[in-house]
Amino acid sequence: MKNALWQTVLGEIELSVSRASFITWFKNTELLQQNEDEITIGVPNVFAKQQFEVKFNHQIAEILKRNGVKASRINYVINSQQNKKTATRSTSVSGNPASPASLADAMPPVSQPKASSRANSLNPKYTFETFIVGSSNDLAYTACMAVAKDPGTKYNPLFLYGGVGLGKTHLMQAVGNEIAKRDPSTRVLYTSTEAFVNDFLDCMRYKRKWDASRYRNVDVLIIDDMQFIAGKERTQEEFFHTFNALHQANKQIIISSDKPPKAIPTLEERLRSRFEWGMSIDIQSPDFETRCAILQTKAQLGGFTLSRETVEYLATIIQTNIRELEGGLNQLLAFCEMRGTDPDLQTAQGLLGNTRTTRPHHLTPKQVIEKTAKHFQLEPNDITSPKRDKHIVVPRQIAMYLLRSELHLSFPKIANELGRKDHTTAIHSVEKIEKSIKLDYIIRQQITDIRDKLYV
Amino acid sequence: MKLTVTQENLNRALQVVGRVASGKTPLPILNNILFRASNNRLFLAATNLELAITQHVGSKIEKEGSITVPAKLMSEFVSNLPKDNVELETDGTKMQIICGAYKSTINGMAPDEFPELPAIEEKQTITLPLADFKRAIQQTSVVASADDTRPILTGIFCHTHDGDLFFAGTDGYRLAERKLAKTTQQISAVIPVSTLSDVLRVMNDDMSEAKLVFDDNQVRILLDDIEVTSRLIDGQFPNYRELIPKSSDSTVELPRDEFTRITKVASLFARESGGSVTLNASQDGGKINIHSVASQLGENTSEAEASVSADGQVTLNSRYLLEALNCIDSKQIVFRFSGKLAPCVLTASGESPNYQHIIMPLKS
Repeated sequence: MKNALWQTVLGEIELSVSRASFITWFKNTELLQQNEDEITIGVPNVFAKQQFEVKFNHQIAEILKRNGVKASRINYVINSQQNKKTATRSTSVSGNPASPASLADAMPPVSQPKASSRANSLNPKYTFETFIVGSSNDLAYTACMAVAKDPGTKYNPLFLYGGVGLGKTHLMQAVGNEIAKRDPSTRVLYTSTEAFVNDFLDCMRYKRKWDASRYRNVDVLIIDDMQFIAGKERTQEEFFHTFNALHQANKQIIISSDKPPKAIPTLEERLRSRFEWGMSIDIQSPDFETRCAILQTKAQLGGFTLSRETVEYLATIIQTNIRELEGGLNQLLAFCEMRGTDPDLQTAQGLLGNTRTTRPHHLTPKQVIEKTAKHFQLEPNDITSPKRDKHIVVPRQIAMYLLRSELHLSFPKIANELGRKDHTTAIHSVEKIEKSIKLDYIIRQQITDIRDKLYV
Repeated sequence: MKLTVTQENLNRALQVVGRVASGKTPLPILNNILFRASNNRLFLAATNLELAITQHVGSKIEKEGSITVPAKLMSEFVSNLPKDNVELETDGTKMQIICGAYKSTINGMAPDEFPELPAIEEKQTITLPLADFKRAIQQTSVVASADDTRPILTGIFCHTHDGDLFFAGTDGYRLAERKLAKTTQQISAVIPVSTLSDVLRVMNDDMSEAKLVFDDNQVRILLDDIEVTSRLIDGQFPNYRELIPKSSDSTVELPRDEFTRITKVASLFARESGGSVTLNASQDGGKINIHSVASQLGENTSEAEASVSADGQVTLNSRYLLEALNCIDSKQIVFRFSGKLAPCVLTASGESPNYQHIIMPLKS
């Protein structure tokens, strides 16, 4: 934690010294103690200490005085805590095929500050107990439980993918929390891909040495939103090495992404194949029952009881995204708490009905066909034409499926919209797509994308 | 600043000090060497904020003053000058260098930005004969780890135990310990290997002893008029003493040259297998043989006569074994091991040798 006073001092000093010397000297400094007339400042090493005592002391005292702090003495101490953090026990990975038994294994454990479980940046809120299992995510749930029981042995790496707000982060963090609970000495690190990328880029920008230990020095590495690594070649290379180091040492790796490894653009082949090495599991949108269960659990956690109609109503109007579902519920609960009313169906309808109409009335069959065509870079005419080229047939079937699922048109009406005489074509198409959705990730993704576009 | 110094002295000092000014930090002035003329001596200093090297050079000072100049350019220029007197004179942030027919002006930087060199509290000091100090660094730094993920193992543990000073290093797979001198002080410090290799570099044959000064966070090593000041590595060095086997099942004694020769030969056939060689000691024949297999090339068994206390077999990395043999200064080597998994110990023969080298066997 940076102290506000010290921030002020840093802010002023930054203006008066060069960027390079600011980074060299003032990075990793902090105000440790502030007494009546004594101030203690922690600095990273002896060189910095000397520099502060001789060169910056006067300036710092002046700024402190200007900010109303009368310190007759400023002490500088070497604050080795940061160094200690990186100096925790780790496993060396040897490239030798026949690696020698490690002395470290035989070494009696040296008393070292145990990495606190909070340093792993896991959110304790996310546990398996609070995760609602339904048919859309039970496979992922089971795999995660298995990993939590036996990290590093069963599914390594575990790759979870699925759309936004479907519980990837929850599941991953639950694994981390569970492992940390079972054996508190396990070092679990949860990080986002973005943090990894930024960390790496910073090192390159300031020509610092890349501190790989932060990521390699763990027993379980959980890394979220892997799709953001796309196109960042150097980072991919670094991640590749980190991945190998951990995997070789049988350390568990858990990765999430919004797409399967195959569908992440510009992902290097060697990374892609590694991601597919262990287990890749898809988390799908929750079905109606799961959504109801989620709402009921969340309401209970908040100390409310919802009637079945209210739950069903909410689950009907918000279909795809659990985050939105929770948002809707929170909105309802907050409203009721303020008004002192019960969260019943009417309040829910009044509150959420206008913002989240179940079927936007302005959506016409024509728009559905247009947007579907546009998604596949076709002309609407192609879809309604009698052509039977393969690249048109699938979009046409998808359009029919969407007309059925989104607008609830009758089959003869669907056939009519697409210039087909026979309504059995429409029945066949809808059935075919329904089947493909279950089997084919690409089709599923495409339909979700088009559906999102319909309601923009 | 205005002074005259011999090219030889200046060149030697620049070679010593200059290498530290590497420019691996964002602070541009760290690429420079500080020149300071005062009290009839020229003082040179450079630092990379991990360590600082300073040296005093005898010279004739006409006018006191100081400046910093780029290390690389300055040392390359001076090393190419003839052996003659060199005149240095500053004008603001420029330094003029005249040596016979050579004359150049180097743009420097004002010395105020140059980091203050750390002062050291003399908490513990110890003086060592240079030869011992040098050999101890060589014998222990060979096993120190290069892996930054465990910073503590990238240092040499310089400590006192039961009234003796020890140097120890390990990378988790092998370990070396050297006993140095008797002392009454309590020292416990981990010196970065990078610092010690810089210290080895600045040593020369004219020096006779090294003085080490410690405080809580740093060490200063004084070699004649050169001072190397370095941070220490923070943290606790593994409690390695408990790992050194007190006794072993088999003890093998043989001449070092023999042992080195058969290991080298075996290592030729061990390149494919990551250096893995198997040692077989047999008591009856009084022999030790080393066996290695390369699936493509062939295989090798070399034998040497040895005094063997009990039969046994162990698989080691031949590179580690060769490096260990190189570190032992004795004609006879004692090699102790117990089965395929326990650590092996190599020492010189004789009562209480001052150096022990431990190697973990390969899991085979």
